[in-house]
Amino acid sequence: MKEKPRSRKEPKPRTNKAPKPGKRDENKERTKERILDVAMKLFQKHGLDGTTTKQISRQAGIAEGTLFNYFKTKEDLALFFFQKETDSLIEWFRGEKDLQRAPLAEKLFAIIHRQLEYLEPCEDFIGAVFFRSLQPRSKLSPLSLESQEFRIKYLKFIKEVLSEAEEEKEIPPLGDLGAYAVGLFYIGIVTHWLHDPSNGKQKTLAILDRCLQMGTRFVKKEGWEW
Amino acid sequence: MGVVNNKNKSFARGARLAQLGAGLAGSYLAYQLQRPFLSDEKQKSRRQSLNNKQATSVREELQNLRGPIMKVGQALSMQTHALGPEWIEQLSALQMQAPPMHPSLMRAQFKSAFGKYPEEVYRSFEPKPFAAASLGQVHWAVTPGGDEVVVKIQYPAIREAIESDFTLLKTAGFAARLTGFLKDSIVQEAQRGILEETDYLLEAKNIEYFQKALQPLDFMRTPKVYRSLSNGQVLTMSRVPGMRLDEFLATKPSQELRNRVGASLMRLFFFQLFHVKALHADPHPGNYLFNLDGTIGLVDFGCVKYLKPEAIRCYGLFWSREWLHDDDLYAEVVHTVFGRKAAVKDAHVRRVMKEIAGFYDKFHPLTPNPPLLDVGDPKFMDSLTELARTLIKNKFLSADFLFLSRTESGMCNLLHILKAQLPSTKIAREYIPVITNK
Ligand SMILES: Nc1ncnc2c1ncn2[C@@H]1O[C@H](COP(=O)(O)OP(=O)(O)OP(=O)(O)O)[C@@H](O)[C@H]1O
Repeated sequence: MKEKPRSRKEPKPRTNKAPKPGKRDENKERTKERILDVAMKLFQKHGLDGTTTKQISRQAGIAEGTLFNYFKTKEDLALFFFQKETDSLIEWFRGEKDLQRAPLAEKLFAIIHRQLEYLEPCEDFIGAVFFRSLQPRSKLSPLSLESQEFRIKYLKFIKEVLSEAEEEKEIPPLGDLGAYAVGLFYIGIVTHWLHDPSNGKQKTLAILDRCLQMGTRFVKKEGWEW
Repeated sequence: MGVVNNKNKSFARGARLAQLGAGLAGSYLAYQLQRPFLSDEKQKSRRQSLNNKQATSVREELQNLRGPIMKVGQALSMQTHALGPEWIEQLSALQMQAPPMHPSLMRAQFKSAFGKYPEEVYRSFEPKPFAAASLGQVHWAVTPGGDEVVVKIQYPAIREAIESDFTLLKTAGFAARLTGFLKDSIVQEAQRGILEETDYLLEAKNIEYFQKALQPLDFMRTPKVYRSLSNGQVLTMSRVPGMRLDEFLATKPSQELRNRVGASLMRLFFFQLFHVKALHADPHPGNYLFNLDGTIGLVDFGCVKYLKPEAIRCYGLFWSREWLHDDDLYAEVVHTVFGRKAAVKDAHVRRVMKEIAGFYDKFHPLTPNPPLLDVGDPKFMDSLTELARTLIKNKFLSADFLFLSRTESGMCNLLHILKAQLPSTKIAREYIPVITNK
């Protein structure tokens, strides 16, 4: 079994109200973000495999050895990327006042579109990561424990959004299944998005919209109306 | 109550006419494409092999699919040469309507099409659309310079959707019944025509052309294109003031105002025909905006037809009725309406020509000092519908001519709903050139 060294050190990583981190933790987090920022730019330029740790550490202004203290592999870096993505997604969504009153199909559209937007500047990197995550031993695999943290955070967030719609009687109660379905749908959409040759990847937008409209209608009616 | 009823009747009649009008539209495709492929006999037998039931079921199939495929149905409805009248009526009842975009999708699509979000481009932008468009929707906005504008945004990947509709049409089982007697090249041409409509820059060009050309008509208002805020999928134009026809009528405009507006619409028609030599060919009432000072706004230049001289000349002949006493002019009209091979002395041809003359005797009486024409009179509209029906059943040669008829019907429809009374002969004389035997 693999360990999760970082989360072990952090006191209560899963609660929503993050405790005030110490100065050291804060600095550490900032360095990690800087490394991520630099690495993403390099990946974009040279590809995931064409980028060396030397390049990353030099541009981030740290020693190559120090880099390994933060991220052991490029996969760890990718994991950090997705953690950041999930956190910023949730923060952004809660700040969007108009969106809170929108119908479920629009909320989910906005959420997934926001995710795609986050991925957009590093499309090549995401493509490579996506490919890797299919390998069972990869830390990025949906089954790896390392990737569970941000995945569960995401699923819980989606479940919250769905529960709101359930409370409003917009959809019948779905339980956890709804969140899993959205999660799988998201993976499908990203796959489509990565291979979308249409102008401005507009086909993905259209499919995302059509599927969500159809899906929410399906759930509302508790089945197909033929 | 009586008023409401009358109004509804007018609208219903207008709708029936509009259907016919839509069927008449765009037969230039048939003109260009059909002739080389189908001999007259084949065409006849194919037409006979169809029946109304089949036509209805295909329409229903297309209707069920909704979305862009309906555009295909519409395009096919324009193939007056390829399809019988029963098909044309069924298919032209389809109205293309892209799905609505909620604000989040609209923003995403705008970004994808324009590279920035609307709020980064405009000083303000109303996220809720105020009108639907056939390929997207229309929003109010204010430019950075403070101008009130209208922004038309296309639904994402509509072009690709139309392309795949056509692929489906060419391969799917239900389409076989259609494509069985539609040559591939016709479908191809219909596709090309529709895809052209998805380019808002072409529409921008049309707007600019008409804006300049209509300047002499001081009662007309057309939009101005904001080129730097437009591209193939986003069209920014100035807001044209005015009410939709029903809103305008709800203000209970005086007969004098309705007459004035009606006369202006008629002038607009003649001016386009004989001076601009191009037609705003979408007679949909929503494209006209009316003001209490009598000015008229014209929007939606997605469908503009630049006319050939023969069609304009033939139309002038219709109005002048010179052909009634001149054999050469008579033959010219017959050949324009029925095709080059038509027999001038044919009994059927003579009947149709008489009907045409009869209609224009009502529309534009040549008697000295004719009374005002009451376009609100249902009898007038019925004779127009009757004529349109007769013409639709005949093989047209000139596509330009079809656009002309369609626009004329559209104008009459508006005049009818307005219940305008006008000196039609006097107005026509201001514009129609004297046509002599060449
Ligand atoms: N410049 C404008 N000023 C004011 N209103 C406008 C303007 N342009 C468009 N509109 C309004 O928006 C509606 C739809 O726009 P438009 O007709 O251009 O779209 P379209 O895609 O061509 O739709 P359709 O072919 O179904 O009429 C119009 O009927 C009109 O009411």
